[in-house]
Amino acid sequence: MDNERIIRAVSAHADSLIGRPADPVHLTDEEYRHIAPLFQLTEQLHRTMTPSSPSASFVRNLGQELMEQAQRQMAWSQRMRRGMLIGAAALGSLLSVASVIGAIVFVVVRWRARDQTCALHATPG
Amino acid sequence: MCEESDAVLIARAKEDPEAFGALYERYVKRIYNYIYYRTNNHHEAEDLTARTFLQALKNLARYKDRGAPYSAYLYRIAHNLVANWYRARSRKSIVSIEHVANVIQEPDCPVARAEKKEHREVLLQAVRQLAPDRQQLLILKFGDQMSNTEIGAVMERTEGAIKSLYHRTLVELREKLISADSETNRTLREDERWTTSG
Repeated sequence: MDNERIIRAVSAHADSLIGRPADPVHLTDEEYRHIAPLFQLTEQLHRTMTPSSPSASFVRNLGQELMEQAQRQMAWSQRMRRGMLIGAAALGSLLSVASVIGAIVFVVVRWRARDQTCALHATPG
Repeated sequence: MCEESDAVLIARAKEDPEAFGALYERYVKRIYNYIYYRTNNHHEAEDLTARTFLQALKNLARYKDRGAPYSAYLYRIAHNLVANWYRARSRKSIVSIEHVANVIQEPDCPVARAEKKEHREVLLQAVRQLAPDRQQLLILKFGDQMSNTEIGAVMERTEGAIKSLYHRTLVELREKLISADSETNRTLREDERWTTSG
């Protein structure tokens, strides 16, 4: 017996029960006898495992709760983003002030060093 | 009007709560249905559905679209929550008959009704003894009425692999039902022997 054909037949039978398009598989009598119990089981499952829906009030209440939670979450992330932006700007300002001071110190030190060198060279003997 | 794709809604949801609301409306029934068949309890299904969506919302900023439908991500959260729920209950089997009471279309005869109820309960109990991926397959196929391609996208398998898994699941389920049936017959015979000898 072709196992591949049996798998396809069982699947096609389930698909046809749930209203999905299925390629029919033509079975021999022997194949049919072999998989008839699986067809029956599929039909039992189809009858038993019907879709179950939550209550409308549950769906509505949870929806509201999620919306509130989403708004809180977004407000918090916006605050975080703003805080990070302010922090980054403050850090950037500090760094630029520090670099200006550093540059001034560097220039002053260089000038002093040059002055001292000039004074040494100017001293006779 | 054309329905927005999951990817578009997710991108919008990061800035707009209404977009997450649309995703919620799209999937809440499916996720509830999945959890309900795994737990067999309406209250637990509601609680775990709420936790699934709250967790999805919490992780929304970090969510990366890898081409799979958003439902695959939601089912994975739900699957993990159900697994934790079972672990917390130390794998204790909770068999509620509320499902049967709600789902059955009642036949007229009380005896037939009881038999039918029992058959359905036995079948659902056998389904719950299957491996989680096999239970998921049956719920997605019959509970959510998804095609093999859609199931494959959710379970990250090919359509062919889903067909094979479905066949193996049916064979295993049938074996479980046969062994449950022979167990019931053995118990009935023992009860009968006790009654006649007493």
